[in-house]
Amino acid sequence: MSQLNVVGQSLERPDAYDKVTGGKGYPVNVKLPGMLHAKMLRSPYAHARIVSIDASRAERLPGVKAVLLPKDVPQIKFCPVFFVPVQAPSMVLDFDVMNGERVRYVGQPVAAVAAITADIAEAAIDLIDVEYEELPAVFTPEEAMAEGAPQLHDEAPNNIAKTPFFEYGDLEKGFAEADFIFEGTYETQRVHTCYLEPRVCVVDMDRQDNVTIHVTTQHLFGTREKLAFALGIPETKVKVVKSPYIGGGFGGKLELTAMEPVAALLSKKCGRPVRLEQTRQEDFITTTRNPIKVYLKTGVKKDGTFTARYAKSILDCGAHATHGSEVIMVHGAFGLFFNYHAPHQKWEGYTVYTNNMIGGGYRGYGAPQGSFAVESQIDEICTKLNLDPIAMRLQNARKQGEPHPFNPAFTLATYGLADCLREGAAKIGWEKARRRDKGSSGAKKRGIGLAVHPVWVSGCMGFPDIYEHSGAIVKINRDGTADLATASMDIGSGQIATLTQIAAEALGLPAGAVRMSSAGDTDNLPFDAPTHASRVTYSSGNAVKEAALSAKKRLLEVAGSMLEVSPADLEVSDGKVSVRGTPSKTLSVAEIAQRAESPFVQMTAQGPQPTVMEEKGTIIGLSSLAPKSNPTPCAAQFVEVEVDTETGEVAVLHAVYAHDIGRAINPKAAEGQVEGGFQQGMGYALMEHIQFDPETGSCLTTDFLDYKMPTAVEMPRKIDSIFIETDEPTGPFGAKSLGECCVITPAPAIANAIHDAIGVRFTQLPITPEKILRGLGKI
Amino acid sequence: MALYKLKEFHAPKNMQEAINILGKSQEAEILVLAGGTFLHGLEARGLLSDVEELVDIRKAGLDAIRDDDRGLLIGATVTFSQIQTLPSVQRTPWLAGLSDALAYPPVQIRNTATIGGCVSASCPFFDVPTALLALGATVMVKGGEAGERQLALPDFLAGLFVNSLEPGELVTAVAIPKCPGNGASAFIKLEGNANDLAIVNAAAYLSVDSQKTCTEAYVALGGGVAETAVLSDAARQILIGSKLDAATLQTASEAVTADISPMSDHRASAEYRGAVAKVIVRRTLERAIARLA
Repeated sequence: MSQLNVVGQSLERPDAYDKVTGGKGYPVNVKLPGMLHAKMLRSPYAHARIVSIDASRAERLPGVKAVLLPKDVPQIKFCPVFFVPVQAPSMVLDFDVMNGERVRYVGQPVAAVAAITADIAEAAIDLIDVEYEELPAVFTPEEAMAEGAPQLHDEAPNNIAKTPFFEYGDLEKGFAEADFIFEGTYETQRVHTCYLEPRVCVVDMDRQDNVTIHVTTQHLFGTREKLAFALGIPETKVKVVKSPYIGGGFGGKLELTAMEPVAALLSKKCGRPVRLEQTRQEDFITTTRNPIKVYLKTGVKKDGTFTARYAKSILDCGAHATHGSEVIMVHGAFGLFFNYHAPHQKWEGYTVYTNNMIGGGYRGYGAPQGSFAVESQIDEICTKLNLDPIAMRLQNARKQGEPHPFNPAFTLATYGLADCLREGAAKIGWEKARRRDKGSSGAKKRGIGLAVHPVWVSGCMGFPDIYEHSGAIVKINRDGTADLATASMDIGSGQIATLTQIAAEALGLPAGAVRMSSAGDTDNLPFDAPTHASRVTYSSGNAVKEAALSAKKRLLEVAGSMLEVSPADLEVSDGKVSVRGTPSKTLSVAEIAQRAESPFVQMTAQGPQPTVMEEKGTIIGLSSLAPKSNPTPCAAQFVEVEVDTETGEVAVLHAVYAHDIGRAINPKAAEGQVEGGFQQGMGYALMEHIQFDPETGSCLTTDFLDYKMPTAVEMPRKIDSIFIETDEPTGPFGAKSLGECCVITPAPAIANAIHDAIGVRFTQLPITPEKILRGLGKI
Repeated sequence: MALYKLKEFHAPKNMQEAINILGKSQEAEILVLAGGTFLHGLEARGLLSDVEELVDIRKAGLDAIRDDDRGLLIGATVTFSQIQTLPSVQRTPWLAGLSDALAYPPVQIRNTATIGGCVSASCPFFDVPTALLALGATVMVKGGEAGERQLALPDFLAGLFVNSLEPGELVTAVAIPKCPGNGASAFIKLEGNANDLAIVNAAAYLSVDSQKTCTEAYVALGGGVAETAVLSDAARQILIGSKLDAATLQTASEAVTADISPMSDHRASAEYRGAVAKVIVRRTLERAIARLA
């Protein structure tokens, strides 16, 4: 790798100033002239037939401009997930925007109102009279699969939406070869990503069905495709405007919901733009990470080598499958089986309908649920067989140069798991802490734990039906700066910083010379897959690099013409083009761009100067391409906890997180990703839980008083982020991904540390103080 | 949005005006706004949809503080932040429990929440009322048919979100009687995160004579251990006259079970609350003892 000038620097994020001064670039701040406000009426029942809807009282309320009922909504079924084609055969096509026949969960939209204020709209929805005939509801997948359970979708007998499986080797043989067999069931809960900016859209739809939408989305083109389909109009009728950024996504804004089409249809009815902002309560019941129950059975040799692994996963997808049919696949592949070697493996997955809220995307996408099972069980194996947890993991893990486990066309060209483990262990003082006396007196016991995530993604190449390609436009300006335009959304994780640094490095411009365009939409930007699947740095980064190199090629052609040398003899650095070996022959990028954009004849003090026609034209580079590979990042996580054995409270004292990310494009931004990922993972481990009334299915945790997530006070005082830079050959300047790896392992690492502290194994998340006291036999 | 029926928003300039408004509006659905944190919580949950009138008493001159030999008299609209600045709250072991309780809410709450508002809410999950119970606080009330009343805090807290105010009455101040001798108090809250209402909280006040024998003891608990924050008489009886040794603290802590009836909700089970109440009480007593001169 040659000298890097911009990549690798912890530059201030270009969006930082705007965000700390109010963030006018968020969709929630969009206001259009004449804009109306909409609210949706939601079902109070978990399962019911709609007998009738009477909106006449609402229509008469002063200030109400339109009421939208199911009969006004195209009755179309589709998959609302952004990253797959709208009728992808690999997905379950069961989602509808609003149907007038049946509700399947508490909170399902049944009608909507647009009014001159949001308060009037909310008052109006209370005036809509809906008569329901309640039907028996089912809230657990086990009950839903049982004989005689209420059937939620005709095309899904026993409420099973999808049953994927993987199998290789001979499972019986593998278990016969084992010296020991370990079995366990590991359960995870429903959690919310808790993005700060609520789901919101402002839509203008005219009578010719031209739609313009500003929306909190992780995918401009997915929004266009799904919204057009839901409305029954051609895709290019919909223009999705790119906001400079959205206030958090984490996978939670990765599908169309009723909000966008409802606002569009109300806009068309009223002839005015309509804004629909969800409340936090509504957001809590819109999407969630799917709870999964994993039964895991592993055969091991005395030395800890896996001989066979069998798992069965039951995923509660709620009332509609949406992400649930893909989460189960990623969970099985990257959460359970492709992370370690085992000669004989079998996995069965079940995505099961219930009358719970719909699942969704959430950072990690099925892997945290799998990792909790796998990494907890490995700890059990190591404890029982007295094995070193680091050595045992490395013994079963893949090695650099091996074929990629999921796609044999790729290899693990870079794979730094051993380095992650070695450096992480040294940082937290693993050997010493393992030998430490836990303390036989006192209420507080300390423990240390480890979990790794051996194989993850930088994009999702290999899974069926998923959009992968990215595009970019790079334009060099006459002042020597460059503009970058992509449809890749910044969802808060630093995409603007990362992509502009990659572009500057590729162009040879100084730090800060590349600006991300703040304007753009699906009409004028090249397609990009969503900001998801840890793919932006790698996939969009490669597209940006390609576009920048293409612009640079043209830059050097013009410079070559100006200096009368071959472009091959030129190099660019820090905004200057010079002839290799003759540093005196130099032009600034600004001078070259000015020449390229100058008039036919330049009028100078010395009189008219003719110019060279071949030098004319904006210096611009374009790209649109699929990623070359899917290199795996990997991570090792160490935590130290203190358990109060009298109250059950767990304090995380120290976290060390080592990642092989190929290259840190902006190390400070990368650290932010890791710390945020740890916060979400720690919440998953210890406190976060969307809870429902077991009788009615109503959500009980609809705000941040009832839904607990770690605040700054609960976070460990020390989080050490270690980046192992393995220089991935297919990545932009050696980079792989980071976005999700860091959210996957905190839960098992914390569970393992708690076991180390008090000797009790917890297999159900979250590990609340109450569960700790029960585990200790104190209640 | 939850104030659908709001017709009047009053902002009385003095106490008499406030009392007059409350007196006139006896039939209406009327609520007093003293700081707004509790009202905001109710509004966010859609529980204010019947309210027709709000009386904002923040400018009604109820923000006086008297700090003398008789103790503390704190006006109803004095904020938590203002109470924290009082030298006696900052420095005397007697009031240290109140200081502990005031430090739990985030600063945004402390800057607007008031002492009158927090007792009037009669919310068992609040912290400051538990601390006030252990300090023997009295609630000063004006207006209504009685004109003026003083209610001991345990009598004022009538039930879950129900206080003992009669129509037309307003809380004007909270009084904390002066500690007679060598006394100290403490407060501890068990919470899910730093942005939480109490799962269980406890406050203790202890005084001792020159022989280190306990002469007075109050143990209060809140946070879903009963419909209101409560005093434990069982614990008090065990502590008074004792030497406050470890065994006595343990016995007294376990005795609180007799005075509480914990509730189960999605935040914690009754069993858990009952179990940790004993632990929190013991730790609170230990903290108070450490503060005794």
